[in-house]
Amino acid sequence: MNKSDIFSDGFWHNNTVFAQLLGMCPLLGVTTSAENGFWMGAATILVLIGSNLVVSMVRGVIPKNVRIPAYITIIAAFVTVVEMAMNAWMHEMYLVLGLFIPLIVVNCAILGRAEAFASKNSVSDSFVDAIAIGTGFTFALLLLGGVREILGQGELFGFAVFGASYPDVLMFILPPGAFIALGFILAAINIFNGYLKRRSEKRSNAAKPALATLAAEVSAVEISS
Amino acid sequence: MKIDRDQIRMVIALSLVAVIAAAVTGLTDIFTRAPIASAQKAALHKALQQVLPAHSNDAQAEAITIEKSSIYPAKSDDGSLTGLAWEVIAPDGYSGSIRILVGLRPDGAVHAIRITHHRETPGLGDGITNNHSWLASFVGQSLDSISWKVKKDGGDFDQFTGATITPRAVVKAVQQALEFFHTHHDVMLANIMKQATTGNKQTGAGLE
Repeated sequence: MNKSDIFSDGFWHNNTVFAQLLGMCPLLGVTTSAENGFWMGAATILVLIGSNLVVSMVRGVIPKNVRIPAYITIIAAFVTVVEMAMNAWMHEMYLVLGLFIPLIVVNCAILGRAEAFASKNSVSDSFVDAIAIGTGFTFALLLLGGVREILGQGELFGFAVFGASYPDVLMFILPPGAFIALGFILAAINIFNGYLKRRSEKRSNAAKPALATLAAEVSAVEISS
Repeated sequence: MKIDRDQIRMVIALSLVAVIAAAVTGLTDIFTRAPIASAQKAALHKALQQVLPAHSNDAQAEAITIEKSSIYPAKSDDGSLTGLAWEVIAPDGYSGSIRILVGLRPDGAVHAIRITHHRETPGLGDGITNNHSWLASFVGQSLDSISWKVKKDGGDFDQFTGATITPRAVVKAVQQALEFFHTHHDVMLANIMKQATTGNKQTGAGLE
């Protein structure tokens, strides 16, 4: 796989949220606003890059039987570092995200990448994979946070979108709103992916007759020679 | 019992990972400890500015401790007490405990209150942070100037539409803060004065 395939796979086709439905706990928990979603995503990207790089570096060195506890320890170390750094230099956001930062340790998307990708691929490929998966996850957090903030408070990144007369739809800030908004987003993405698939099928069907004649010509040439 | 080489390799690998992880987190702790402390101090300073009357001292540096609560005194230029503040916890909020910074005047009336931490329902219970007229209804009240209950319970404080538990918890906690001040009034003032004189002595020694 080349680097751009790794990226499009991690960001879209194999997106943590839209395709794998992993990492639901932080996704539903912190996305009451676009800003919260963005910073949660940023923290996750940092942890993913760190864990993917280190796991890829030590692949083959760690005995197979103890690889999972070793990966979890590596991930936990990066999460702790990110948590302390946020507490020190982004104190207000740290207070908002609170418990969800240490919970990055148990975001199965991160252990999943360590096990399924970084432990089998080169350091540079693992780095690209971490960026792709991380930005894909951040994109999902940002999308859900933005939708909930716009519908729930009539704002985006704290700026008024609909003006003061907008009646805040509280439900979208509350946990049920997270599920409802996520459901509609997933439906929209399935429709979009279905459209992409039909279009590519149409193209390959159109290309088939041409290929068939070419194959026939080739075999004809082979026979004659 | 025979221990095979694979088992030894596993132990060594895991131990190494654990030692390196501990070293990295330990180093980060050393580098972030001072910035974290100053960030917490700055956050508290901001909150104290909002609940204390005008003052010219460093309320955090002159804090005293009474029954495990840190009391932050506000003083004017001539050293007279203009107010004091401390944090109380309302354990009976709608979801988890609510932390409230209560600022009092020396006569025991409320100067201002601010919610420093809560997990109440957005749009309902979180009126305690952004309903300014409700927060203002505490200003100037003392223990016997008002009935410390929400209107639903026959008191004088408004509850919010759809949220009674949250304001009830806050009103109760602030009332308890006033009672705390009433009970420990003398000890508090004596300690603040004593702290001030030792503080001055230290400054004097520094000058010599």
